[in-house]
Amino acid sequence: MDIAIRLDGLSKYYGKQLGVADLNLEVKSGEVFGYLGPNGAGKTTTIRILLDLIRPTRGKATVLGLDSQADSLLLRRSVGYLPSYPSLYGNLSGHEFLTYLASIRGGVHWPRVTALAGRLQCDLSRPIGSLSRGNKQKLAVIRAFMHEPQLLILDEPTSGLDPLMQAEFEEMVREVKREGKTVFLSSHYLPEVEQLADRVAIIRQGRLVAVEEIQSLRSRALRRFEIEFAGPAPREEFARLDGVSNLQVYGNTLRCDVAGGLDRLIKAAARHTVMNLKIHEPNLEEIFLAYYEDDQQEHVT
Amino acid sequence: MRMTNKNMLHNVFLKSLRDERWATIWWVFGLGLLAALMMAIFPSIQGNDDLNSLVESYPDNLKALLGFSELTDVTSAVGFLNAELFALMAPLLFVIHGVILGSGAIAGEEGRGTLEILLTEPISRGKLVIQKFAAVAVAAVFLALALWVVLVVGALVIGMEVSFLRIAAATFSLLLLGITFGSLAFAAGCFTGNRGTSVAIVAAVGVGTYFMNAASGIVSFMAPAKWLSPFFYYNAADPLANGLNPAHAAVLLSASAILLGAGYLGFRRRDLRV
Repeated sequence: MDIAIRLDGLSKYYGKQLGVADLNLEVKSGEVFGYLGPNGAGKTTTIRILLDLIRPTRGKATVLGLDSQADSLLLRRSVGYLPSYPSLYGNLSGHEFLTYLASIRGGVHWPRVTALAGRLQCDLSRPIGSLSRGNKQKLAVIRAFMHEPQLLILDEPTSGLDPLMQAEFEEMVREVKREGKTVFLSSHYLPEVEQLADRVAIIRQGRLVAVEEIQSLRSRALRRFEIEFAGPAPREEFARLDGVSNLQVYGNTLRCDVAGGLDRLIKAAARHTVMNLKIHEPNLEEIFLAYYEDDQQEHVT
Repeated sequence: MRMTNKNMLHNVFLKSLRDERWATIWWVFGLGLLAALMMAIFPSIQGNDDLNSLVESYPDNLKALLGFSELTDVTSAVGFLNAELFALMAPLLFVIHGVILGSGAIAGEEGRGTLEILLTEPISRGKLVIQKFAAVAVAAVFLALALWVVLVVGALVIGMEVSFLRIAAATFSLLLLGITFGSLAFAAGCFTGNRGTSVAIVAAVGVGTYFMNAASGIVSFMAPAKWLSPFFYYNAADPLANGLNPAHAAVLLSASAILLGAGYLGFRRRDLRV
């Protein structure tokens, strides 16, 4: 099976309100696929269709070669799902919660649950109602991973996790990828996806804007630099560089946007005495803007 | 204890019963206490003609609304139990119990967001509906059993002359009434996914059908309305005096089955609420 997820003209309207429109997408088996878009763009709508929680208005989704509606029961056996803002059973302990869901699944290899709990430092004995957001998130992560699914669907997975646990989580995703499994990773936050994903789709207002290799996305993304020099900022040297735009100089401080590789910029700066260097990671809006500008140019020519 | 606990998490049915274990214990305790109190009062009322003439002096319309028939002798065992328990108090409690559990089963989990977790496990919506409903019905059975036991023990203690089988018939009829309204609440929750809406629908239907049944005895043009009321099928044939009316019981059972089926169809088709 080469294709883990396939969307064919998938559309979902809530009444007249658009959820997602005409999505066509293929996620390959064995890849980590980032699904990127601002809040309300339709990421969760897409995922809920994949899991048959809601039904598409038009089009179809195929998951692990199975129809998302007709074969939902079968495909859910092989899928691990982490919802955004998971609601768990507050009256159960973590242990009881996982026992319950494992029973519905027909049993899981329990040592794996214990191992996952150990890695994430998750105390399974406490009632879920008394847990912090981060600890609830850990339980939801364990439940998604515990049956060693062929496909992981993760919706905003690291929200609520502290940086140490985020790193552990990223390692877990990499391991799963090494085992040849597929990961569908939804996020509104590029850095969350950037570290893990092979390819990325960008969705905005219910429509796919782009599907790209993560490298090419990164190379197109603008990063904002702020360099403080010991002396007056050498404006001319930077203005000549490829990929630099929006150059501004305030005394010893130089600000600019950089697209693509940073090497030339760093080398240019290194010829002077640098007091301070700040890089602002591109946010999604900036990446979208880059795409829109391209779109408009294409229309003009 | 730990082992038992774990077994109760084996499937949706057992887990749902487990969730209701404390509520069920309190319901059994409250209902049992009420029944025991009634039994304790009976010896002082038995054969008290003053009370009978008091009740007879009630306007017929009031008697109809309270569920007393023309011939009710409130100082006899059957008349007393009917008037004090089976006419109003017990059906009210069983209906409320059914509605709380029925509306909470699907719509409650949906509102809390846990249904999204449950339905992304490999369990079909049909199986979920059946197991959730079974838990509602079994909790109501516990309640009915407890009532029967308390009434029988009470009758033995005070020497009340009443057939235990007839008490069972009346209690069973009560159970069917509770399950009928429980099914309605369950189905409304299946369709709407909203517990509040479900409760509101059943409250309206419950009050409406109660008065349809009561009014059918008062106003002649309302007479046919009783055929639409679950309360008619529950107690019109007076199971405490005459034993279970199989046809009436069958109507309540069929209504429950139809509501359950409709609830499943409604739930199967629709999008889960966020």
